Amino acid sequence: MTMTSTVKFAQSRPRGRKIARLTTDLWLVVAVIVVTLGIASQRPQLLDAVNIATVLKSFSIMVVMVLGLTWVIASGKIDVSFMQVAALSNMICAYALAQGWSWGGAIVVALLAGALVGLINGWLVASMRLPALIVTISTAGICASIAAALGKGTVIRIADPGPLEPLLQPALGGAVPMIVVPVLLIAAVAWFVQERLSFGRYIYALGQNEAAVRAVGVPVVKLTVILFVLSGVSSALAGILLASSLSSGQPMIGGPFLINGLTVVLLGGMMVRVGKPNILGTLTATLFIGVLFSGATLLGLPDFQRQIIQGGLLLTGLIVATIAASHHGARTAGQ
Amino acid sequence: MRTWKDRMRHSTRGLGFVALVLIVAAIFGALEPRFLSYVSLNGIARHMAANGLAALGLTFVVIVRKFDLSIAGVAAFCAMSMGALIAAGWPLWSVILAGLALGAVIGGISGIAISRFGLPDIVTTIAVGSIGTGLAFIYTGGRSIFQNFFTSGITDLNDAKLMGLGVSMWLLVAIYALAWFVLSRTRTGLAFYATGENPMAAHFSGIATRRFVALAYVLCAMCTVLAVLLILAESGTAETNKGANLMMPAYAGVFLGAAIMGGTSVIASFGGILLITMLLDGFALMGLPYYYSDGVVSLILLIGVLAFSDGARGTLEALRFLFWPQKPTKPTAKGSDA
Repeated sequence: MTMTSTVKFAQSRPRGRKIARLTTDLWLVVAVIVVTLGIASQRPQLLDAVNIATVLKSFSIMVVMVLGLTWVIASGKIDVSFMQVAALSNMICAYALAQGWSWGGAIVVALLAGALVGLINGWLVASMRLPALIVTISTAGICASIAAALGKGTVIRIADPGPLEPLLQPALGGAVPMIVVPVLLIAAVAWFVQERLSFGRYIYALGQNEAAVRAVGVPVVKLTVILFVLSGVSSALAGILLASSLSSGQPMIGGPFLINGLTVVLLGGMMVRVGKPNILGTLTATLFIGVLFSGATLLGLPDFQRQIIQGGLLLTGLIVATIAASHHGARTAGQ
Repeated sequence: MRTWKDRMRHSTRGLGFVALVLIVAAIFGALEPRFLSYVSLNGIARHMAANGLAALGLTFVVIVRKFDLSIAGVAAFCAMSMGALIAAGWPLWSVILAGLALGAVIGGISGIAISRFGLPDIVTTIAVGSIGTGLAFIYTGGRSIFQNFFTSGITDLNDAKLMGLGVSMWLLVAIYALAWFVLSRTRTGLAFYATGENPMAAHFSGIATRRFVALAYVLCAMCTVLAVLLILAESGTAETNKGANLMMPAYAGVFLGAAIMGGTSVIASFGGILLITMLLDGFALMGLPYYYSDGVVSLILLIGVLAFSDGARGTLEALRFLFWPQKPTKPTAKGSDA
């Protein structure tokens, strides 16, 4: 009796698991397709070449901004300074250009600024053991102030479009800006690092049990600092892309990206590795949000309704993740 | 429970805090004589009332070792809701009660989601805050509300004086006194601290930890509503960005106070927010552009938290041991106020 049920259980298990695996892996991809088709049936303009190019451009910038953040959150920390780092690098870029610098110099300085903020965040969190939220909330405030101070509170225009501009223009049949290619390449490398290198294992181990990782002999402080620096550099890169895309430095550009970035990372964390932010999930979720917002604009929804939808999405994602994590915990505990 | 030595050390920190406030006041007074004028001090008191109420709410949440990032969103939505009710001709007391009830509901949603269902506190409150910020637009689509404001009596909260002090300051003092009594002198307060220190131990001591975490969020949202009410009273209009400037000073006040006093408490938050408001108003008076204020507050917060962190204290102890080889004093227990 017990025997047969065990056998039966063992047989049915792999298939059930496979389906469960596929569902958790692909539901967001399905959601992207469903939302795209749903909105396109109401507003065919969604699939116009120009609109696709716009969606893909903001997709690329958003992905760059939150690549580092994905790992910071996966390692169990938080970074709420990423959007202000982007604003700061955006303004530094514009300011340097206004001072007569070349684009190359401006880009290097902006990236260095991002790395510096990441270094400070990482040092304060890892070495001085301060709470990550308090540290990054403070550095966010400081970055925002410096960004605004650079332009004395207003926008700095950029006359020379620079070398990045062609990348952002629609190419490949007028629908795909070239920037997508390098961004996807970076994401692929990040995916490889996350899945195949011990560095990636450590990130998730850190999120699970920092004390254990430390005890095993992993240089936790160094690892945390690297994660924050990566987050700073990637958001700084996004700020540079924004400078090129908008032909200006906008000091107040950071604000809306906070909720966008967190939504994307946490929604992406519902996919592939359920309950854990990961690169592939972030990519899919960014596309999902991009399509959804483009659709909302085409359908004529005002800005504040999108904000409510986004908050609801974030909350839904959190609930699903928490339920999934508790189920997973129950299962492993049961075994 | 508390030894004489503990008490001494605590009052030393308190005296240090008072000295710091006096030094800051003296520096600003020397640089800008208008800082110590009646008008300016009155302004500080008014701004402190609003900032202080938000900080008090946050104090409860921080004591149970959580964070609340929905302050701006809750403030925006409740400000517009109260504005809409005033415009609809409701009497002031019912508007305030409705605002408090709305705040309690929103805080309850965050609190129950976090304590009962185990959602992560930071992201949950960001999501709730975002929804609140969006909902603030549903009444007017973003236009400000000012109808009936001057006849409703709400501006009295800002203008009326009682024994030379503004009504808002009395409100602040009364609510802080109540909170101090509850947190430091009752079992309920002890339960808040116990929940934050060690939820497991608190649970097995018979404390309903989940209820206290949820309650902390409810209280935080209600305090935020009172804070934004004072801001409405000062400006005489309800706008969707009201309360956007409440969060940073609140965080800075609570954490700076805790850093200096050696633990989160009502008194520490009061001192922290006094210091932060003085600095903000002082810099504004000296003509510092508006966009520096967040940066200044953030910088002070960072330096304060860093200077009083365990890491820095360790370095300091090591230095003292080097120059003055004596048995270093034991570090005080955190939250020894309880």
